[in-house]
Amino acid sequence: LPTRPVDREKNETELNLNIKKATSTDETAPKQKHVRKCIVYTWDYHTSQSIWTGLRVQPILSDEVQTFKALILVHKVLQEGHAIVLREAQAQMGWFETCARTVGNDSMRGYAPLIRAYVSFILAKLRFHRHHKEFNGLFEYEEYISLKNIDNPDEGYETIMDLMNLQDQIEQFQKLVFAHFRNSANNECRISSLVPLVKESYGIYKFLTSMLRAMHRRTDAMDALEPLRGRYNTQHYSLRKFYYECANLKFLTSLINVPKLNHDPPNLFDSPDG
Amino acid sequence: MSIQNTSKSVLRVGKNYIKGYTDVQKKVRDATSNEPWGPSGEQMNTLAQLSYNQNEFVEMMEIMDKRLNDKGKNWRHVFKTLTLLDYLLHAGSENCVIYFRDNLYVVKTLKEFQYVDEYGKDQGANVRQKAKDITNLLMDEQRLREERRSRASMRNRMNDGED
Repeated sequence: LPTRPVDREKNETELNLNIKKATSTDETAPKQKHVRKCIVYTWDYHTSQSIWTGLRVQPILSDEVQTFKALILVHKVLQEGHAIVLREAQAQMGWFETCARTVGNDSMRGYAPLIRAYVSFILAKLRFHRHHKEFNGLFEYEEYISLKNIDNPDEGYETIMDLMNLQDQIEQFQKLVFAHFRNSANNECRISSLVPLVKESYGIYKFLTSMLRAMHRRTDAMDALEPLRGRYNTQHYSLRKFYYECANLKFLTSLINVPKLNHDPPNLFDSPDG
Repeated sequence: MSIQNTSKSVLRVGKNYIKGYTDVQKKVRDATSNEPWGPSGEQMNTLAQLSYNQNEFVEMMEIMDKRLNDKGKNWRHVFKTLTLLDYLLHAGSENCVIYFRDNLYVVKTLKEFQYVDEYGKDQGANVRQKAKDITNLLMDEQRLREERRSRASMRNRMNDGED
């Protein structure tokens, strides 16, 4: 039980209301106050079961905007909720696939391709977390993890490849979101899906930077790391462009600070303080 | 003090009475009210001292938890509670540190707090920045320990001067 003063029964009732409001039919961003309540709930009770149940109870799948907002909500809870959410979500593959399947090709407001791409990204994320349990949902850097991997260079190498694959998936998805902006309409709902993507890509980027640096310090076989360096540099330029484009979206910059990367990728042979 | 503010503080006194808040809870509510000025150094210092008493500590946390989870329109409640929290982490009892480390997510999830007021001003920015600063402080155990130590030694020096 949480050390905070809470009332479980009241929280369960409110949770359903929060899910309902976060996934309303309005073509806007899911309201952060409702998303936050869902995140806090998972920390209070160390479970996300009521959230998955709540999502099934709501008539979300009949409306493309609601489905898209539900995916944004879920993504944020996966990122910032208690670690148990990543484990419990593994049993929800069917629900995600239903989201992707239910939305028709003739979706009026053009969310169908975005929903399918979002689902495929989330499924890739869940597969990653299933194999690498030491990461949290936002890939926040913790020294011991990179140390753990330097002791086992093979595992480190593979982890980095897997992280880079996930980073490529973010890249594909964000490009699709930008490609689906509509001149005539208000793009708030679409833009709000970029918020968790900016955070997640930056977490992965920082992680890759410190892991690759640590590996360069430890190894004699610089040649063996060459393919990783090449791919890292390519991803640096793509991310820089992504953040630059995000920085021009006023609605987005009012929600989060968009990181600004230097023109050139950091030198992986430097020490972090250098 | 404007008439509007006077009536607000009268209302708060009434609410304190009806809801049966304790003395220390009233102090927290006063320090983190919707009035447009910050909690005073004196108010925060008093509360920091009271946090060393276990009962008072629990009562304080109850109100701070409510205030931190308040809605956007009451962004001042949230912002001023974060200001008070920052002070408590430096000068309050060790219990404050332990409690907010356990419940870090309450502060951490305020990093995306949003509220735009009726004049279009983004008042959420204050809360977001403060939540970020406090999260960083709570996660950096060494820095927090050093800051608590230097605060304590400063207080001792000042007290010595009075003798």
